Amino acid sequence: MITFPSEVDGHRVRVGCDVADVADVQNSLAAFGDRYLRKIFTTGEINDCQGRDQAHRLAARFAAKEAVIKAFGEPDMSFPWREIEVTRDGPLPRLRLSGTLAESAQRQGWASSSLSLSHAECHAMAVIFVVCSPAEADAR
Amino acid sequence: MQDQIRDVLATHGRMAIDPREVDEHADLYELGLTSHASVDVMLALEEEFDIEFPDEVLKKSTFESVHNIAQVIESLAKAVA
Repeated sequence: MITFPSEVDGHRVRVGCDVADVADVQNSLAAFGDRYLRKIFTTGEINDCQGRDQAHRLAARFAAKEAVIKAFGEPDMSFPWREIEVTRDGPLPRLRLSGTLAESAQRQGWASSSLSLSHAECHAMAVIFVVCSPAEADAR
Repeated sequence: MQDQIRDVLATHGRMAIDPREVDEHADLYELGLTSHASVDVMLALEEEFDIEFPDEVLKKSTFESVHNIAQVIESLAKAVA
């Protein structure tokens, strides 16, 4: 029997995933409109999601935020959604953290990440993979 | 206050059970409250009580039970007063 370690060559790895219902996002937009958008998404995300598939794109980004929260592995932390941002300044989506969550990521030794988003007609999903610096293991 | 919270949960929580009939300490996530539905609950509570949930209370435990929600709203209302 083997119990696999959650680190590779001293680099701890963290993974988070989540699925979001596109209809839930559509309902929230209908019920709360701009308040919903501004509470959860950054201006950049709102701009990136404009167009025909707005709800699908927003749902993928909400799933990404929840995936990141899971990757932190600290459910008692505060998670201001707007401090977790999905950016599209290249061919692939990227994760940008700010504020208290950027500080928490530094504390945990987050060194690099890879983010993947997808959606079908009814659901959107996201997976985040994080590699931490060896310093995290040293700090524990 | 708890009745207002339960009404908001019934309207926006999209839970499998009637939140007006659950214990105030019951785990709402176990009863079907999703993280996305908790956003709608939060936005509706802000309207209902004329408050704003600050970043520091945006944590899973805030919306875990009717009791927890009531405690957070009471503390926010006191801070405004």
